[in-house]
Amino acid sequence: MRSFSQYNPVAVAVYFLAVAGIAMFCMNPVLLFISLSGAVLLCASLSGMRGAKHHLMSICLFLALALINPLVSHNGVTVLFVINDSPITAEAVLYGAATAAMVVAVLYWFRSFTAIMTSDKLLYLFGKLSPKLALILSMGLRYVPLFGRQTARIGQTQRALGLYKDDNIIDRARGGLRIFSVMVTWALENGIVTADSMAARGYGTGKRTHFSIFRFRRADIVFLTVTVALSAIVCVSIAVGSLDFTFYPSVRMADIDIMTIAGYASYTVLVLLPTIIEAEEKIKWKYLISKI
Amino acid sequence: MEILNIENLTFTYPLCSSPALDSVSFSVEQGDFVVVCGATGSGKSTLLRLLKRELSPLGEKNGRVLYKGMPIDELSEAESARSVGFVMQNAAQQVVTDKVWHELAFGLESMGVPQNIIAARVAEMASYFGIESWYEKSVSELSGGQTQLLNLASVMVMSPDILILDEPTAQLDPIAASDFIATLKKLNNDLSLTVIIVEHRLEELIPICDRLMVMEKGRLTDNGAPGEVISRLGDRRELLCAMPAASRLYHALDAEEKNISCPLTVKEGRRFIESVSDNSVRSLVREEYTHSQEPALEFRNVYFRYDREQSDVLSDLDLTVYKNEIFCILGGNGSGKTTSLGVAAALLRPYSGSVRIFGKKLRDYKNQSLYRRCLSLLPQDVQTVFLKNTVREELADAGADISSLPFDLSPLMDKHPYDLSGGEQQLTALAKVLATKPRLLLMDEPTKGLDAGRKLVIIDILRRLKESGVTVVIVTHDVEFTAMCADRCALFFRGGIVSEGVPAEFFSENSFYTTAASRMSKGYFDRAVTVEDIAELCRKNTRIKGGSQC
Repeated sequence: MRSFSQYNPVAVAVYFLAVAGIAMFCMNPVLLFISLSGAVLLCASLSGMRGAKHHLMSICLFLALALINPLVSHNGVTVLFVINDSPITAEAVLYGAATAAMVVAVLYWFRSFTAIMTSDKLLYLFGKLSPKLALILSMGLRYVPLFGRQTARIGQTQRALGLYKDDNIIDRARGGLRIFSVMVTWALENGIVTADSMAARGYGTGKRTHFSIFRFRRADIVFLTVTVALSAIVCVSIAVGSLDFTFYPSVRMADIDIMTIAGYASYTVLVLLPTIIEAEEKIKWKYLISKI
Repeated sequence: MEILNIENLTFTYPLCSSPALDSVSFSVEQGDFVVVCGATGSGKSTLLRLLKRELSPLGEKNGRVLYKGMPIDELSEAESARSVGFVMQNAAQQVVTDKVWHELAFGLESMGVPQNIIAARVAEMASYFGIESWYEKSVSELSGGQTQLLNLASVMVMSPDILILDEPTAQLDPIAASDFIATLKKLNNDLSLTVIIVEHRLEELIPICDRLMVMEKGRLTDNGAPGEVISRLGDRRELLCAMPAASRLYHALDAEEKNISCPLTVKEGRRFIESVSDNSVRSLVREEYTHSQEPALEFRNVYFRYDREQSDVLSDLDLTVYKNEIFCILGGNGSGKTTSLGVAAALLRPYSGSVRIFGKKLRDYKNQSLYRRCLSLLPQDVQTVFLKNTVREELADAGADISSLPFDLSPLMDKHPYDLSGGEQQLTALAKVLATKPRLLLMDEPTKGLDAGRKLVIIDILRRLKESGVTVVIVTHDVEFTAMCADRCALFFRGGIVSEGVPAEFFSENSFYTTAASRMSKGYFDRAVTVEDIAELCRKNTRIKGGSQC
């Protein structure tokens, strides 16, 4: 019983690649609407009510993107009204809304992705590719906060030693520059000790392996299989043209057949997978508690 | 079984005329706990590094280091990395990766051990060292003590046969240091692990070690059971002052001539006192300390917190330090000691209450005038003081006049500040801080990482500063140091002062937070807080005893 964020990083990465990829390469308003709804739902379930400011920003972005297209593009046959001798067409409005939905949906997917894929999970992914690359990234992730903290400490010490002669910007910049230059020395010096510590623990004696605390469990395999299967169905229905949608010169949808319905249904399930997992977990937990 | 055998080891650094190590020979048995002591620059660290092939310095080496009868240069790379574990002084800099679990696995990853075996070994180590609760944390969130424990665990995960430690507790506070030393002893007992350690703080190490080795100027001058070695030390003050309080007392009373074995612990020390002296004179007559009436630093109901969501770090802090006194603030980790210095130096702003320096409110010091000929802060991490490439430039930049300093820095002038030893860095930083001609000097842990000899130098400097009219406020964990130099001291607890007084009163009232000398003499003598106090009392009492016999 695990929440979505505890699934194996590989499975999670494949999932996000699939949902966001399909949304990016298929300009179908229905599909994009499903994608956007699912993305917002997941994001809200992950961050709760805290992301209010972000949601507001997204609405503004959506409106801006949706409005710009009809103002600059005058293709399409259905003229709604005319501004400054330029026709505003229904097709352009719809196209603008679809593009906006795509951009905002993908942004939402990425927001959830960064919330779930913490640095150690990304490292695990890279470690699958190359243990060396993973080590370099891990060391980098360690150095950045270390460097920042030491800079702040030196800054405080120097202030108390009268590094700054006065309270003005030029003086502050000059002091900052001197601190930066000593930080370079410090980082090199620090590196020597770290290198010693690495050598002492056998770095470079042979081929490295990569250890991680993430394992592939049964649930991960099920989740990965479902994800791949559902995206395959959607891809097939895109490939056979059942999800085709043209905006210009006039809006035209492919005829609804079995593949269209299969495509929409599969994508809906795919998009809702994390939400389903979270809900399932909550219900299970409630049930278990009631038994205890 | 002999695990390590050093034969006639001589080592000279490049461009040096005299050797850093001069025909050193000794052997170590499997399961020995060996402590190496000696003054700074006696070749201790060089010796340790030569025992670990990967860390051996460049230079001319003669003689042999044999591991289980085989020269270490002939071991395979993997065997050499695995069999000898090495832990260094600076905890944070030894950490390679960003997560605790990854750091633990690092050594095994390097050796190419398969995943499932790593998982088992790492899990085993994490539970042995009690790391489980912070297993998934980032290393940047750990305290100094936790970081050093992690370094030890990530060496132990490779199951070494010999563990070498170069001043591992120098940067830790006393409580974390005791924990670390206790862990070492546990490893030594549980796994029969061979431990070779160099350390300045010997109070707790000497009682648990099997063997004490003394290094002087690159030579191994003594090697044997700790009690015997200490009784053979004679009058070598710079080595003696690092020894446990009981042993120092033994020397101060010249007991080696009376054929009594040397006491090492507080318990043995107490028995020793009772055996050599009665207690008809229970306390020394002391001059009453009176502080001046002019305040130098005042805290009035100061409250401070780092973040709105967190709890108060300083709460209702009320404290007055008077002009021309040496004031020591003691207290546990996270009790707000260092924060109080930050507030006094106007680096941190309290959200309530007022701070006055020489009677003037902090906010009335405009345009950084607080830091000109008024207040100066020597931070805990003295490396943060340095901005230049040589000590000479550093001092010139600060406008320090070397000839007026109470200590000699001239041999260090052309070195890079980062290349100096801990004690030298401390003195150089102090020189730079004193160049601002402060009237109020704030010091954060000035004795951290110093050997006992350097501590005496610092105490001497503080006394001279006091004579020249400077007020000194010191935050420290070091109770022995406080007992020797403070005019008044205070105990910090949960953001405020809980008790304050002159050291003799202050320490004799505490039972744990006090000096070893005070613990040794409690209930037998009154208000004896230093070894010198007890020694003098013993002399007075013995004389009476002797007199009655005549």
